[in-house]
Amino acid sequence: MSEGASPPNLAENVLKRIDVGIFVLNKNFEVRLWNNFMAHHSGRPSEEMLGKNIFDAFPELPKPWFTKKVNTVIMLNNFAFISWENRPYLFRFAHNRPITGGADHMYQNCMLMPVNNESGKPESVCVVMFDATDTAIATNMLKDALDTLGEISNRDGLTGIYNRRYLETRLESEFDRTRRHGGTFSMILFDLDFFKKVNDTYGHLAGDKVLVEVARRISDQLRSSDVVGRYGGEEFALILPETPIEGACIFGDRLREMIELEPVIYDNMTIPVTVSMGATEYSADLASYEKLILQSDVALYASKAGGRNRLTCYAPELEAIAVSGAKH
Amino acid sequence: MSLTQINPLTDDQRDALQELTNIAMGQAGSSLAMLLDAFVDLSVPRIRVVEVVELPATLADLVGKNILVSAVRQSFQGYLRGEAIIIFGEPGSHALADLMGYEGDLGESSQAELLLDVANILSGACLGGMMEQIRNFTETHGPADLSFSMPSIMARDVPAAQIIDPKKVQWTHSLLLEVNFTIKDRNFVAHLTMLMPEDGIEKIRGIVDEFIAAI
Repeated sequence: MSEGASPPNLAENVLKRIDVGIFVLNKNFEVRLWNNFMAHHSGRPSEEMLGKNIFDAFPELPKPWFTKKVNTVIMLNNFAFISWENRPYLFRFAHNRPITGGADHMYQNCMLMPVNNESGKPESVCVVMFDATDTAIATNMLKDALDTLGEISNRDGLTGIYNRRYLETRLESEFDRTRRHGGTFSMILFDLDFFKKVNDTYGHLAGDKVLVEVARRISDQLRSSDVVGRYGGEEFALILPETPIEGACIFGDRLREMIELEPVIYDNMTIPVTVSMGATEYSADLASYEKLILQSDVALYASKAGGRNRLTCYAPELEAIAVSGAKH
Repeated sequence: MSLTQINPLTDDQRDALQELTNIAMGQAGSSLAMLLDAFVDLSVPRIRVVEVVELPATLADLVGKNILVSAVRQSFQGYLRGEAIIIFGEPGSHALADLMGYEGDLGESSQAELLLDVANILSGACLGGMMEQIRNFTETHGPADLSFSMPSIMARDVPAAQIIDPKKVQWTHSLLLEVNFTIKDRNFVAHLTMLMPEDGIEKIRGIVDEFIAAI
């Protein structure tokens, strides 16, 4: 052996001991190589695996998909990949973070490479498996944190229901979805009557309590697909998917009545609360979702002008009242 | 972003590259057909060098302005270095689920995986086909071999013009290889484009010149 040349079994030793899974399958899915990483994690030593069909040894492997994957590599003489993000693991191995993990299996990234014979034709496939558990756990934690942040950024700080930014996003997507796929939906804009007086008479903390209480009572009545949010100071909005105006009016009026019938109690004070509502329904001729907000605002104005504590459905004639009347 | 100027390919160079790619894509088509056991139709590829700033508009023209697309990126290195971007039209890769060995209803992650799987074989077949053609006539630039990195999804359901933000691309030019894949009796369309650093495009120019000299 010349100075500097590798000892003959160097590559073999490295392959055997490296902390990465390496195994080779021939065209018949028989194992041709099974390194220590694979042996230790699967509990099947190399002597037992060599020559064995991989699907016989691991019947839980998704056969049609994995067969296709391996065939792809051989037929196209190409690489293929398996990512933990789509498929958490190829083999269900225990992982090395039983305490800090929060996962009950090893996440795996795999790379499949063609192994060519002397004439350059691929005849088997080498699978290299990386333990991606650390990355997966960190990524999942980051994702959870981002989800929480995203959720917080959609919420109104005082009442915990959605905020205006989210309402508008949802309204826009509901509008686009309905335009694309048909169907309908309604929205209700509503406003606490004489809210300034509540604040002046009972104090701002009482006013806050009223907002929180109204938000809670309404949230309790919603179907899972309905969305309620605080649109502005004492103004709220409801988005009711798959709901024609008739249904929206019945539902809205029930909410209005529920709020009227039960005054809010704060610090031994009984605070009567009523709301005025404006309802409108999606229609294909509306140019944008903003138009829907304008229409419910017109209907809400009509409720205010008509004496408050009521619900009005939008109709084009109402526009005249809204324009001629003073700002509510 | 560098301000490197790249000369457009001459007519002769483009013709030759076209010829080279035609053969490569023919091969890619037949391997895909064999693999998927379905009739795969690859359009005659159109090739041009596009400035990255023009890419969003070019992609929108190529794919269609009013549809939403999904895109997968995959880097390759070795003989050539760059990124392949595979764009799926509205029906996406769903239509190929059974051909790729997927069973039952596809959840969110299986859909993503299928998209990546299909993108991987498309880029592998096309680039692999090109390498094979190059190996046939020159070794001047070293062994024509590529290795690929794990593909990742860059966009789901966005207008084509939004797939690439030129401001975030380090390279100034793209070799746009416009191949449309369609599969008989399946509602499936995909497009492939390649981003390469300037030296990669110059290398291709060198290869093409050699190809011209050889024929």
